[in-house]
Amino acid sequence: MSRLKSIQKLPDTSTDEDRYSKFDQINGQHPLKKSAPDSVICYKARQRHGGKVSAFNFELAREIGLIPKDHPNKLTKRLSKKVLDTFSLVIINEYDELSNKKFNEKDIKPNSYMATRYLQLQHPNKQGKTSGDGRSIWNGTIKKNGKTYDISSCGTGATCLSPATHIYNKFFKTGDPSISYGCGYSEVDEGLATFFFSEIFNKNKVNTERLLGIIEFQKGLAINIRVHENLIRPSHMLSHLRQSNVEALGDIVEYFIHREEKNKRWKEVPSSRKKRLDYFLKRESEIFAKMAAKFESDYIFCWLDWDGDNILMDGSIIDYGSIRQFGMFHHEYRFDDVTRFSTTIKEQKSKAKYTIQCFIQMIDYLKTGEKKSVQSFSKDTILSYFDKVFEQEVYDLFVQKLGFSKDVCQYLIKSKLNLVKELYSPFSYFERVKSLEGKQKVEDGINWSAVFCMRDILRELPQLILVKDGPISPEEFIEIGKSSYAMPEDLAIYPSRLTKINQFQGAYVKILNEVAVYKKKPLSKILLETTMRSSVINKYDRVTGDSITSIVDKVMKQRPKLNTEDVFNLMHEICNYQTFDPDLVDYKKRDHKHSKLMNGILKIVKEYREGL
Amino acid sequence: MKLIFYGGGFEEENTQLDKEAIKLTGKKSPQVTYIPSCSFESEIDFRHFAEHYYRLGIRKIICFPVDLRSDEALQNIAFDSDIIHLSGGNTYYFLKYLRRNGLVQKLKKFVKRGGVLTGLSAGAILMTPDVKTAGYPSFDKDDNEENVKNLSALGLVEFEFFPHYRNSQRYNKVLEEESMKTTRPIFASSDGSGIIVDGDDVKFLGRNYCFIEGEKYSASRFSEA
Repeated sequence: MSRLKSIQKLPDTSTDEDRYSKFDQINGQHPLKKSAPDSVICYKARQRHGGKVSAFNFELAREIGLIPKDHPNKLTKRLSKKVLDTFSLVIINEYDELSNKKFNEKDIKPNSYMATRYLQLQHPNKQGKTSGDGRSIWNGTIKKNGKTYDISSCGTGATCLSPATHIYNKFFKTGDPSISYGCGYSEVDEGLATFFFSEIFNKNKVNTERLLGIIEFQKGLAINIRVHENLIRPSHMLSHLRQSNVEALGDIVEYFIHREEKNKRWKEVPSSRKKRLDYFLKRESEIFAKMAAKFESDYIFCWLDWDGDNILMDGSIIDYGSIRQFGMFHHEYRFDDVTRFSTTIKEQKSKAKYTIQCFIQMIDYLKTGEKKSVQSFSKDTILSYFDKVFEQEVYDLFVQKLGFSKDVCQYLIKSKLNLVKELYSPFSYFERVKSLEGKQKVEDGINWSAVFCMRDILRELPQLILVKDGPISPEEFIEIGKSSYAMPEDLAIYPSRLTKINQFQGAYVKILNEVAVYKKKPLSKILLETTMRSSVINKYDRVTGDSITSIVDKVMKQRPKLNTEDVFNLMHEICNYQTFDPDLVDYKKRDHKHSKLMNGILKIVKEYREGL
Repeated sequence: MKLIFYGGGFEEENTQLDKEAIKLTGKKSPQVTYIPSCSFESEIDFRHFAEHYYRLGIRKIICFPVDLRSDEALQNIAFDSDIIHLSGGNTYYFLKYLRRNGLVQKLKKFVKRGGVLTGLSAGAILMTPDVKTAGYPSFDKDDNEENVKNLSALGLVEFEFFPHYRNSQRYNKVLEEESMKTTRPIFASSDGSGIIVDGDDVKFLGRNYCFIEGEKYSASRFSEA
């Protein structure tokens, strides 16, 4: 003992250089280059000067081992330099090559950086021959605790895979002011929106890409750095399927399975090729079914379509450009993308299912070497499995929304599923009621407003039943559930609606009684506990897509006064405020004082809470 | 008129005052409404409040934030309670939203019909004629970011209330000075202490002081006098 006591921890003598040595691993090298060479185009890259780190996700950097565990949330000079040296890059593209541009040799990076090929519906070529990362490169990978993370950057120059290159049939100079999307640059506000939105989603267990940092240049231009365990999208595979390139398809599918296996996100993966492919199909149908259910349950609008873009293979959100979270179930909203309208939130399920149908076709192609039509797989058992998992997930998520603890949710799903369905039916009815006002043009598309905010009902109902010793009146039910979109005529209580109100409250009380029996607690205690949990899950003020846009506008205006640490702390504060899992909330007493900026953000979230 | 002014502190420090509030209702298990000063993180404070009151035998507890869109149905049920508790927080923000939603009059009516109104810190200040005490001392005052100009409050009593009082020279100095500027007595209560008003009967619990015309008194002695 005495000897042990004399052992003291030595002071940390590592230099800053050692502390940031992990950055050196991110140098353009990526296993995909070798594993699936047909899926990538490699570019030389050079240092881009004049940038500054305007946002940095210290927490994520620690999580992936990029900075040491004990690194403070502070952008030191050396850290800033490392971030810039590693990520402040611009590719030497075809335009540069053809116009014989000369660059300082010292600025040119030793390794090449890849842009990846994938299918994109906005491209003229519908086979994915010319589409993919139009303004991004993959910086490389980083490993932590046996897990590999992909890192890519958006805004690193115009690649030949941007739509503009093929629409105008020429290569573009990076930053060409005559085109916007195809110029190869990204912007600070895009990065900030991704930063805030993705961290809120991550905190609430919605799978997503995450933002590591933003490097800012003049005129609001930026390089936005993203991180994820596996950045492969369905569209990476579907492009090869469309082109009937069975070899390249096999390469990328195997590459993907291998990474999931190595990262231990997929366990007990069979070793034989056929079984691996079957395993892949089953897992993907589960992932996509659960993802579609989660999006529908949380009112997350993510434009899923036949190209399998905008989503990762593990169901994570990528590219926040058109991502929204609605305050209510605005299931008729369509984003207007000039030449086409997006899918609606309700159509997301069928699009996710169609992706799985494409995967069935793809796996069959890989197994047989013969490419059959996708329609010929419309009755495949995997699609029935998708439906089953989707339905199961819908009920799971619904029960969680009611405010019960995990064990109670499991009990209800396992033993009282019919009761859950009895409640879900009228819930779903109210959630889907649309205003008699009809379809309306909104800023970036069309919408037909929902009338009832069911989160309000779920939040207030338990405490009202508690104090009233029973159900509330139909008028009170409508009053509490009505949204600001509702017109008086939307709120009429006609006989069939009255029946729905009674069905809802009847089933709700029955469930509460069942829970009381199961937990061996008085109903009043169950109601109080449900009130407290539901007030977090169904919080009055939840961010929407519109509120994120307004928050970013506000932060952009304040930004000259905000340093990197301020932006990180603000993100943290927003995420704490937007945590909807009662088991993750820090219930410690705290000082509720917050900055003027945060005060403004709270007002924005409240203002837009029922919107798009 | 049944009022309780809480000087501040956590639930556990205020159990005695809570019991007094329950006693004032004359009911074994009265219905309680918790009104947070601000909806931001109110679910956290409500949880502490509700769990504490549940331990005291209260079963019917409702949370009613005033800075959110107010449903009439919810409001009616909230004001039908036996006890309404106004929480601590930013006094100006709280006052602004009570006014905006027409709740100042409703609270007065609630007290008039015999309801027990309790307030902690900011909530207690709101029960007095005005909220001037939220504006000092300079080292521990509420920011008036809402730019509230009309400082008049519920005016249920004829004294001013200063919460979170610490028996120190710097607090005493400020309170003595402030008491020279007003004709009303300023009662100062420490965390876990408070004042119970039951009609004409006034009781002090814990460490309470009174400042009048630049002089400091022990509140219990002041009461006896």
